[in-house]
Amino acid sequence: MTSQATAPGGTGRATRLGISGWLRWSWRQLTSMRTALILLFLLALASVPGSVLPQEGIDPAAVTQYYQSHPALAPILNRLSLFSVFAAPWFAAIYLLLFASLAGCVLPRTVRLVGSARQRPPRAPSNLARLPAAASYSTDQGPAGVLESAAGLLGRRRFRLRTGEGWVSAEKGYLREVGNLLFHIALLALLFSVSLGGIFGYKANRLLVVGQGFANTPTALDVFRPGRLVGPGNLQPFSINLLNFHAQYVTSGPELDQPLAYNAGLTYQTQPGAPLRHYVLRVNHPLVVDGVSVYLIGHGYAPIFKVTDGTGKVRWDGPVPFIPVDQTTLTSEGVIKVPDAQPSQLGFAGVFVPSAVDVGGTLESAFPAALNPRVSLVGFTGNLGLNSGQAQSVYQLDTSGLRQLKMTPRALTAGQSLKLPNGLGTVTYVGYQQWVSLAITYDPGQLPALISGFTALAGLILSFLVRRRRVFVRAVAAADGGTLVTVGGLARSDAAGGFETEFAELAELLRAQHGGTAAATPAAGPTHQSADAEDKSTENKSTENALADVPEAETAGAGADRHEAALTRPDGE
Amino acid sequence: MSRMPVPIRSALAAAVVALAAVAAAGCDGGNIAGDNPGSSGQSFVGHSYESTFYGVGQRPDAPAVSGTTISGQRLSLSAYRGDTVVLNFWGSWCAPCRAEAPALAELARKLGPEHVRFVGVDIRDQPDSAQAFMQAFNVDYPSLNDPADQIALEFHSTVPPAAIPTTLIIDRKGRIAARVFGASSYADLQALISKVIGQTA
Repeated sequence: MTSQATAPGGTGRATRLGISGWLRWSWRQLTSMRTALILLFLLALASVPGSVLPQEGIDPAAVTQYYQSHPALAPILNRLSLFSVFAAPWFAAIYLLLFASLAGCVLPRTVRLVGSARQRPPRAPSNLARLPAAASYSTDQGPAGVLESAAGLLGRRRFRLRTGEGWVSAEKGYLREVGNLLFHIALLALLFSVSLGGIFGYKANRLLVVGQGFANTPTALDVFRPGRLVGPGNLQPFSINLLNFHAQYVTSGPELDQPLAYNAGLTYQTQPGAPLRHYVLRVNHPLVVDGVSVYLIGHGYAPIFKVTDGTGKVRWDGPVPFIPVDQTTLTSEGVIKVPDAQPSQLGFAGVFVPSAVDVGGTLESAFPAALNPRVSLVGFTGNLGLNSGQAQSVYQLDTSGLRQLKMTPRALTAGQSLKLPNGLGTVTYVGYQQWVSLAITYDPGQLPALISGFTALAGLILSFLVRRRRVFVRAVAAADGGTLVTVGGLARSDAAGGFETEFAELAELLRAQHGGTAAATPAAGPTHQSADAEDKSTENKSTENALADVPEAETAGAGADRHEAALTRPDGE
Repeated sequence: MSRMPVPIRSALAAAVVALAAVAAAGCDGGNIAGDNPGSSGQSFVGHSYESTFYGVGQRPDAPAVSGTTISGQRLSLSAYRGDTVVLNFWGSWCAPCRAEAPALAELARKLGPEHVRFVGVDIRDQPDSAQAFMQAFNVDYPSLNDPADQIALEFHSTVPPAAIPTTLIIDRKGRIAARVFGASSYADLQALISKVIGQTA
């Protein structure tokens, strides 16, 4: 790695050399397994804040809530993209580097594997008796006939064959390489599918009150995160109307308050003018329209208010979604903004308690269902800050321009009103409605990713289960006029075992076919490697060898020795 | 694979899982509607502003928009054929809409005699607050009530509104000639309308 030394150097020549050297060095570093592992670890680490902090794309209401409870910290976290971790630039940097690293590692490997899968069996080693499995016998048949019938037998057993002067070489188990190749290609396909989703897919959220409807168009979505090439016109033009929502809870026992089931009854249209269809949306039971999945991810209450201003005109009459601050009992908070109230703007901050119980003078919710719903409100007047044009959350009051109204705190039941001081008007708690929160996701890469994932798994299993094994047959004319046949075999990565049985069976079949009689030769493999080294120099000089796997062979032009040594190892790995 | 020790194999398998997780989480990019966490709940463009003018050859035909106004009248854009139409998507809850409202109301009064018709499309709103808004800003022109986004959806294949407010200028031949995302100023919108009137063949 001289490039490391020359790269920061001063002269033009050195710099030019240095740049290419640096590049090569960087590429090698990037595509090394160690880097991939570090990136993988970083990716896992970077996902942690995504599960610890509320995420904009998953639960925007929770983010708003976090803003309220941590007003100083939240903007800093937001600047660091910690509320949208999976869309953060630094997160993208990690997975793009991992992508490059894996692609850079997998592509060359794939090319090598193709070579390996197409490889011919090697030449037969000269001394088959030294192989891990060996047998020999004598027969009256001539060497040529013996080899021919041996090749026939092995060929019928789907061995890949190669013949030479006095030998037959057969190899089986190429499926291992095919599996390996499949795994690598599937891995690349998976990477590709993932990016497909990032480019052409999108994610959105929408909070929908029962009785309301919306269309899948950007202005109707609370949060919209399109892929790189997704424009507003690419959204599938479906519409959804929420008819009803039912939540069931455990009413007794240790799991009190736990939800049993959520059902959101809705109608939908795939496009304007299309027939209206019904669907019951449940958790993990999404509605799929045009390849877009609509998930039910949350629910809450929207108390209905009627606000009359100082002039006696109704300025608001409808449900206002409140956000649960306690997921167990669904105590919820929300705000009502009445920017066009006369003579001055009105704002209210409220707490909705679905099952109110009096605990030492304060109202608390005892149960998530609306058994005894109450609302308490604090009123404000002044400037809501909306007319400046500065966008603000519909769930928050900017109280900097507001003055709190003096009102006696009261928990309202449905139908009750509060009269505002100074003739500013009245506010009535009419009743409540429920809302659901929907996650809309379109990921065209999902199915390809699933298929690639399964293919990768299948390839991996194949490459683990199938073992590559070789059988060699040599036949030489013996002094007594007969033929001495030696059979040798070896298997790579025979972790599961079984090759010895297979070999013994094959050897026996060959012997029977040739009417041979067992000869007195050692049946076991060699025990000394020095003999092998010697042997290789005489016979096995070819680039192919008994055991070496192609990825190794390819890198080692001068490495024949090493490969021969591998011959005696039970497993190259 | 042969040179990879087993732990790395499983690491690769883990990479598959991790990448699948990325897939599930989404490698998503920027967003059109603009959604800083402080404004979550409604999508709109804060102070961002973007206007686009379409040359005569590039103008898509505006869809045949019709519906019920906030005050309960039937209204169809086809009745305005021959006039230039300024179609404004708004909501009384939307701060940038409130900021641009005085300019729109004033321009509508001023350009009425020049055959420029203003029509609002009130989205994600509630009739009482919409009427209060129109009264507060002296908005004289009608607004279609679009609580379920069906009018916005009509523009799906042409120029879909991607922010609130969105203002579309439809030329007197019924083609979409300009688009504004974000709060318009009096001067900008007036100039854009004049350009559309001047360049309509």
